Amino acid sequence: MNTSYETIIIGGGVIGNSIAYHLSERYREGVLVIDKKYPLSGTSGSTQAWVWVHNKTPSSYAEFSMYSAELYPYLSRKIGDVEYKRTGGLSPFFNEKDRDKAKRLAESYREIGIKIKVLSREEVIEKEPSINPNVAGATFSKIDGNVNPFRLADMYMRAAKKNGIEYSYYNEVIDIQKKNDQFIVFSKNGEYTCKNVILAGGTWSRELGKMVGVHIPVNQVRGQILVTEPLKPFINYTISGMRQANNGEVLIGYSMEEAGFNRSTTLDVMQETANMAMYYIPDLGKAKVVRAFSGIRAVPEDGLPIIGKVPSVENLYVATMHSGITLSPLVGTLMTELLVDGDTSLSIAPYSIERFK
Amino acid sequence: METDVLIIGAGPAGLAAAFEAGSRGLDVVMIDESSRLGGQLSQQTQMVSMLPSQYPPMKGFELAKLLINQLHDFPVKILLNHPFIGLYQDGSIGVSDGKNVFPISAKKVIVTTGAAERAIPFLKWTMPGVMTIGAAQTLVNRDFVVPGKKAVIFGSSDFALDVAIQLKQVGVEIEGIIEESTKLTAQNMDKINLIKQASIPIYLNSFIKEVGGNGQVEEVYVQQDQEVKTFHADLVCVDGGRKPITEVFYQLDCSFSYQEKLGGWIPQYNERLQSSQEGVYLGGNAAGISFHGSILLTGIIAGISVCEDLGVLEADEANSLRDSLFKEIKIIESKQDDHLWLERMTHIENFLHPKLKNQFIS
Repeated sequence: MNTSYETIIIGGGVIGNSIAYHLSERYREGVLVIDKKYPLSGTSGSTQAWVWVHNKTPSSYAEFSMYSAELYPYLSRKIGDVEYKRTGGLSPFFNEKDRDKAKRLAESYREIGIKIKVLSREEVIEKEPSINPNVAGATFSKIDGNVNPFRLADMYMRAAKKNGIEYSYYNEVIDIQKKNDQFIVFSKNGEYTCKNVILAGGTWSRELGKMVGVHIPVNQVRGQILVTEPLKPFINYTISGMRQANNGEVLIGYSMEEAGFNRSTTLDVMQETANMAMYYIPDLGKAKVVRAFSGIRAVPEDGLPIIGKVPSVENLYVATMHSGITLSPLVGTLMTELLVDGDTSLSIAPYSIERFK
Repeated sequence: METDVLIIGAGPAGLAAAFEAGSRGLDVVMIDESSRLGGQLSQQTQMVSMLPSQYPPMKGFELAKLLINQLHDFPVKILLNHPFIGLYQDGSIGVSDGKNVFPISAKKVIVTTGAAERAIPFLKWTMPGVMTIGAAQTLVNRDFVVPGKKAVIFGSSDFALDVAIQLKQVGVEIEGIIEESTKLTAQNMDKINLIKQASIPIYLNSFIKEVGGNGQVEEVYVQQDQEVKTFHADLVCVDGGRKPITEVFYQLDCSFSYQEKLGGWIPQYNERLQSSQEGVYLGGNAAGISFHGSILLTGIIAGISVCEDLGVLEADEANSLRDSLFKEIKIIESKQDDHLWLERMTHIENFLHPKLKNQFIS
């Protein structure tokens, strides 16, 4: 068994896998991805998987998200069909007072080139006929959409493996030490040495950071998602809180709870979620909910991604964030540039871990 | 709704547990997703033997009636057509009445959800005409529907032989019993003799490769050695064994361990039939696939442990009752299949070493 690598990526979610895949386009030797379980057993496999740009703040973060969304069609051509659909995103509001807020959002986005329309009541109903007729309006952006997260992670992985990236599953990293210019990664199944370590552990970033004496302020936020029986296609857009998947199931989720790593579902939240969904789309009241699941989101303390070098430890990198699905194509690209070229084509300075000092 | 004891599942184990708790004065609520009491037992017309010592051998539905009738005088509230659908944050159990979901807050919960049949996949196994052996029996006994004219039975457990005889009695021709191994898996010689007397052909070392037909089973292709034999039949009954129904335990965050003979992954429990969640007890096939006697006895033990923990039964008495009940389980299980009893013991020993805990934590 090889135990010496150029780069070890800790975490095999969409972010770790995207970095692995994009790295494999540039150099094929000496990259290992380690996952404590199996890819998709964590956050990446328990998500609504929106590729979502609009109403992210500040607008610079929306811009960053937009560049990533722009990469999706190209990514699909490279790694295979990930069921990416640019449906357009609709964020309805039900109070006329919210229109000014929506207009201000649209204005601030216009400056950076993201087109957001503030729709009238009639326009919303025309676009999404099944919406609650009491709707006052909505913000609408063409760039939003969704993807099949299972295919996404799987296709990244297949492409990366084909290009020579190695994987080790069910292999929890227990400790990381730095000796001279080398990292020693201690895992459940053995020790590895490498030059570069990339921490892509998502919700577990805080714990991984501790191993190398770096504070990575990422919290866990639980979201519970309801899944309906397959319904004939009737939701045209990705609407805040829900989307209809290719097979007709509607995925619905609004909740955000602090529950550590506990992935239970609770009826309180399920009922609230169902009520919200029926408020948005009254016809959903007739649908049967067949399944509920919860996912633990990685949410950095200030909500923004943490990407780039860790200045206090040479050759240590971090890539952890909320909205990993949206951002994975861009983050994989930029991290690869950073490792191979030493610089990125798009500034990631705002997302440096340094900001938490 | 508030109660001392909530029992989830009103089959034989649930009914037995309800009697223990109800007859000692505890308030009991028993819920079941189906429209009648007794679970699968209510439609079983075969004789059930190997029952606890107080019961003579009788037919399944007779036993169900007896278990239901003995609850009459006690404070047991029965909610049929009320499935368990989840947990509230405060730990109360969410139950649906078909329209609304409401919480039941119970001091103790006994889960007796029973077992579900396993199917065996083969080519075109989803074609109409293919069903599990238990489904065929349900059609005959509960719905009074003859499931087909000519049947092939895949599997040869005691239960499969029971149903084969029964199907024959209602006029279904049995074209053959297909068994993958070198001998019938049924243990009961009386049943095997009945099959032989009825001249039902038995094919050992064989399996169903594929079924064919235009929208419904018409032909069954059976592989035996190097040969493929074609049967003309419109019904295939698949006997894939049973597995405990465990969704409720997952929701309640109980630990699990794997026991092949007991049906696979099952919730862990101690000799009190108490799960890794303090207020949650279990019994019946949910605690491991077994014989009717064990189903009742484990339900009774769960009921006794709940009575003890709620202070209506002295510890000494509870212990001696449990001891004698376990002896009965041992007699029943080791007599039929020694491995079953040994596995149950191993399972109980494993309680202190959870094999799969916090399965929602990845």
